[in-house]
Amino acid sequence: MRNRFIVSVSPHLHKDESVSKIMWMVVLSLIPAGIAGVFIFGVSAFWVIILGVISALATEATLQRLTKRKITILDGSAVLTGLLLAYNLPPHVPFWLPIVGSCFAIAIGKQVFGGLGQNIFNPALVGRVFLMASWPKYMTTFLKPFDAVTSATPLALLKEGKLIGNISYLDLFLGKRGGCIGEVCILALLLGALFLLIRGYISWHIPITYIFTVGLFTYIFGAKGLLTPLEISTAQSGIAKFLTGLSGNWLFYILSGGLILGAFFMATDYVTSPLTRKGQIVFGIGCGLITAIIRLWGGYPEGVSYAILMMNAATPIIDRYTKNRIYGTK
Amino acid sequence: MKKFFSEFLRGIIKENPTFVLVLGLCPTLAVSISVINGIGMGIAATFVLLGSNIIIAMLKNIIPDRVRIPCYIVVIATFVTINEMVMKAYSPALNRALGIYVPLIVVNCIVLGRAEAYASKNSVVNSLFDGLGMGVGFTLALILISAIREFLGAGTLLGHTMIKGFQPAFVLSMPSGALLVIGLLLGFFNVLKSKKE
Amino acid sequence: MNATQFLTIFISAVFIYNVILSRFLGLCSFVAISKETKPALAMSLSVMFVTTMASIITWFIYRFLLIPFGLTYLRTISFILVIATFVQFVEMVIKKISPPMYRFFGIYLPLITVNCAVLGVAVLNVDMFFVNGKAVPGSFYYSLFQGICVGLGYTLAMLLMSGIRERLDLCNVPEAVKDFPLAFIIASIMSLSFLGFNGFRF
Repeated sequence: MRNRFIVSVSPHLHKDESVSKIMWMVVLSLIPAGIAGVFIFGVSAFWVIILGVISALATEATLQRLTKRKITILDGSAVLTGLLLAYNLPPHVPFWLPIVGSCFAIAIGKQVFGGLGQNIFNPALVGRVFLMASWPKYMTTFLKPFDAVTSATPLALLKEGKLIGNISYLDLFLGKRGGCIGEVCILALLLGALFLLIRGYISWHIPITYIFTVGLFTYIFGAKGLLTPLEISTAQSGIAKFLTGLSGNWLFYILSGGLILGAFFMATDYVTSPLTRKGQIVFGIGCGLITAIIRLWGGYPEGVSYAILMMNAATPIIDRYTKNRIYGTK
Repeated sequence: MKKFFSEFLRGIIKENPTFVLVLGLCPTLAVSISVINGIGMGIAATFVLLGSNIIIAMLKNIIPDRVRIPCYIVVIATFVTINEMVMKAYSPALNRALGIYVPLIVVNCIVLGRAEAYASKNSVVNSLFDGLGMGVGFTLALILISAIREFLGAGTLLGHTMIKGFQPAFVLSMPSGALLVIGLLLGFFNVLKSKKE
Repeated sequence: MNATQFLTIFISAVFIYNVILSRFLGLCSFVAISKETKPALAMSLSVMFVTTMASIITWFIYRFLLIPFGLTYLRTISFILVIATFVQFVEMVIKKISPPMYRFFGIYLPLITVNCAVLGVAVLNVDMFFVNGKAVPGSFYYSLFQGICVGLGYTLAMLLMSGIRERLDLCNVPEAVKDFPLAFIIASIMSLSFLGFNGFRF
């Protein structure tokens, strides 16, 4: 296996530069999604991203200065956190929201645990969940892409029992829908994910099991025939007829919300996910189950952030019980 | 007298029930949403603490060890009931605001904790000051936590809006926010303590 | 009495309305005893035992004593007395079986009496499985099962927390937040993530 970076976290010693390189590579792989987000939602999305990243850097530098630790803001992890947080925000939030969110994410999600490698929870998601609980109104107001009309995300519409209207699978795939900045353009996300997978920076275990579990669960229990206008649309008729004839519309569930963003870029964070392959599969399944359950029966339309955080909490226990056998022992 | 005073002070700083002994969290989380409620609960709990500490210290040689916990509960419950009736009569608004946590003082870890750890082993006068100190310490902790939570979580203090246009962070009105505030306060106190040394 | 009701009780008590992370009952012992896994599990088992037995006994008391004699307002105090007696019993057993464990628990063992989780589940059973002063069919089995499941939920939260805190023991956390402050912050983040289960409807 060529460039497989050791999937192992502190208290092992490792060269700073390789961790740093991974961080920057992930940042690189996320750039297409950011560009797509700005293109789809306009310049305010750009500001959200910039503010998020800068606040993250500033917070980390300040805290490390205050606790007299080495300032490591150039290792790419703060940039990654700020970026991921911004990608999880609606495009037209007030300017202070990404700032407060990033500060919280770095301070409480990361530095309070002792910095990189020691946090238990994904910092960007800690920030997002904090923002969601503090200012729910701002976090759930979405604007229609290419337009100035308020529109809900497809999952939110589904949760309220409304018809989804004129959205096709292609729309979902390309990002022509309401949603958070970095989650809507699946194409851009998959490009980045492919890059990371091919270069060996992430392994397929977590994302694939995560997505597969969501798909399977929603296939069994999910709502059917969600995109009924699709049946009439000739361009997609073949796939549409095939899909809406089955039970749950799993493709819809996989393409909507923040699943692709979460599965490939947040659930795979080395520090907060299990070390062993077996553990990673358990992690992926757990995330998938919780996400699907919240989407189908919970009060919120989307459950990716909560699912990943809950499984982050379970990671130490998972690691404990899926320890690799030391070679030569029983 | 000095000894009594130090017993009293102990409950406020060195062995503060909320921040050091980590007791009585359930009502703290629920009640510290506004300063008024915090003060009200603190006073009520202090009353119960005083009463139960004194009585239990007086009866400590009579209560058989095997059934001591249920006996303590009976004593505590008596004072809680008295407190509840007084509150209902003289401050019904506060009683309603504190809701279920008024009778739940009977399960406030602080009260039973002090009965078991102190009043059952010390003199009446010492127990009196211990109860007073713990009660005041609890009240001060409640005031501190609820001031932060009320200001940042609802934008008000004692019911008055402080800054116009301030968007409060709802999470602080929730127990998750309370846990966060307590954790950060504890960390802050630790920093202060280490600076002193 | 049907199977889905049992399934609902299980999922609610253990995950969706987890007694510690969603209902915020039983926090004192949660923050204090969750530093290592073995004591955490021991405490969880004790709590589970008490919640189960308390559910049984309080059910009988409510059904055959309080309701027939119209004394339902004595619910809280009678429940707490029952629980207190029971915890005393558990304390004696642990003292006999494992004195070091008994000493380790210190004040927190008798404090199971006032562990809001225990009184909470007793009151919850009564609220959920008695309607208009009459027991719902299957009420006893539901109450018993809920008592067990609340204990399981407590165990889950303790297990997660102790795993996390043991892992953090190996890291160099900032001095100021070592132990308790960090435990509170972790509890805060855990409960924030459990917010995801809000508004559940099967």
